[in-house]
Amino acid sequence: MKKGYIVLGVIGAIILLGVIYGVSTYNSLVSLKETVDADVSEIDNQLERRADLIPNLVNTVKGYMKHEEDVIASVTEARANLVGASNIKDKAEANEKLDQALNALLVIVENYPELKANENFINLQDELAGTENRISNARRNYNEDVKKYNQSIKHFPKNIIANMFNYDEAEYFEADESKKDVPNVDFN
Amino acid sequence: MKKILIILLLLFVFLLEPKALVKPTKEFYVNDYANILSNETEEFIINHSQSLEAKTKAQIVVVTVLNLEGENLETYANKLFNEFGIGDAKENNGLLLLLALDERLFRVEVGYGLEGILPDGLTGRYQDDYIIPYLKENKWDEGIKNGYSAFYKKICEEYNIDADDIVVQQNDNENIGELFFVILYSIMFYGFILGHNFYLAKKNKRYFPSIIMSIINILIYVLIFFSKYQSFIMLWVISELILFFIGINSHNIKNGGSGIYFGGSGGFGGSSGGGFSGGGGSSGGGGSSRGF
Repeated sequence: MKKGYIVLGVIGAIILLGVIYGVSTYNSLVSLKETVDADVSEIDNQLERRADLIPNLVNTVKGYMKHEEDVIASVTEARANLVGASNIKDKAEANEKLDQALNALLVIVENYPELKANENFINLQDELAGTENRISNARRNYNEDVKKYNQSIKHFPKNIIANMFNYDEAEYFEADESKKDVPNVDFN
Repeated sequence: MKKILIILLLLFVFLLEPKALVKPTKEFYVNDYANILSNETEEFIINHSQSLEAKTKAQIVVVTVLNLEGENLETYANKLFNEFGIGDAKENNGLLLLLALDERLFRVEVGYGLEGILPDGLTGRYQDDYIIPYLKENKWDEGIKNGYSAFYKKICEEYNIDADDIVVQQNDNENIGELFFVILYSIMFYGFILGHNFYLAKKNKRYFPSIIMSIINILIYVLIFFSKYQSFIMLWVISELILFFIGINSHNIKNGGSGIYFGGSGGFGGSSGGGFSGGGGSSGGGGSSRGF
């Protein structure tokens, strides 16, 4: 009888410890996931801001450039793709494409000194550059947090808890290397 | 053996030390690592930043470095900003002005809390208008002080703090020659007209035109007095006096006199249209890039 109590007590203690561990792991996963989500929304905000700035830029540029429809069209198209992108990977790729299209545009701008001196254009360029800088900071934060999160859901025994509550791996914000067709050169 | 171990250990620690960003100095608001600022400017910045922080918790910090240690400007500025912890922790109302001497780059980094007051486009324009023109001429001290003042004033405006003691200069070097001629032209015109009118008034006993002219003249005088081109005042007064007497005696100058008269009226149109109103607003500097 006494022995039975001890065994029961030990089993109970183990279960209790397990539950405590499970709860604390679950909580840490929740907060990690929340950080990642917050990072995503920061990236989304900045991407949206970037997409909002493009039409203004295009309108300003159009007034000066009469024969560069191709370049302008590619910027508009890249913007549309960015707006249409729904998951992280697509967004990262669309963003990269937009980088390339904008860089191509800025190279041509060099031939239009009047446009370069236009106050509105300078203003827009600053706003865009600032947004791009914020995107790159937000992206760095996001990727760091995703790394932490992914590591913790893969490690034993946390992976059991993660599996139980459907915590899936998060995607990094980066374009697929194989899909990059043009090397990304910074012309600034 | 022990010694070698210690040396190895020290070396290891040394290598481990993250590649150095500069550390905040005691003054915090001014960190002149490139050693290009005068004591007055440093003091000016420290005093103003201090009082600003006391009133609003907002912090403006100036950092100059010799080089960026291979880092890119934006990343360097961002790291520096966060490492220094510029601005209040809750309000994030910090502002960093960073100059990298070797790279000849300048950056204004704005904390989250000030982004509404200082959007990217505005910080760019402020740089173009108040800082870069000076830096291009290697006038570090003037450029930084002037740019600092501009940002300081903008922030004070937003927090409803009096910043009238702050003078921000628009760099108008290109226009100054032009302005000089416009002023000289109008001086000649008004002096002559005044004198001529006093002559006519005395002769015909019609005082009205000369009174109107005098009023206009005084208005222009006041305009100049309150503009930043005060150094022209003496020149103005002396020229006025000389031309006034020439004008009074203008009946002695026959055809030549009226020739000056009509030439002058052209000058009048020019001055009211371009010179004086333009002197206040002024076109922004031409440079668009923030390298200098």
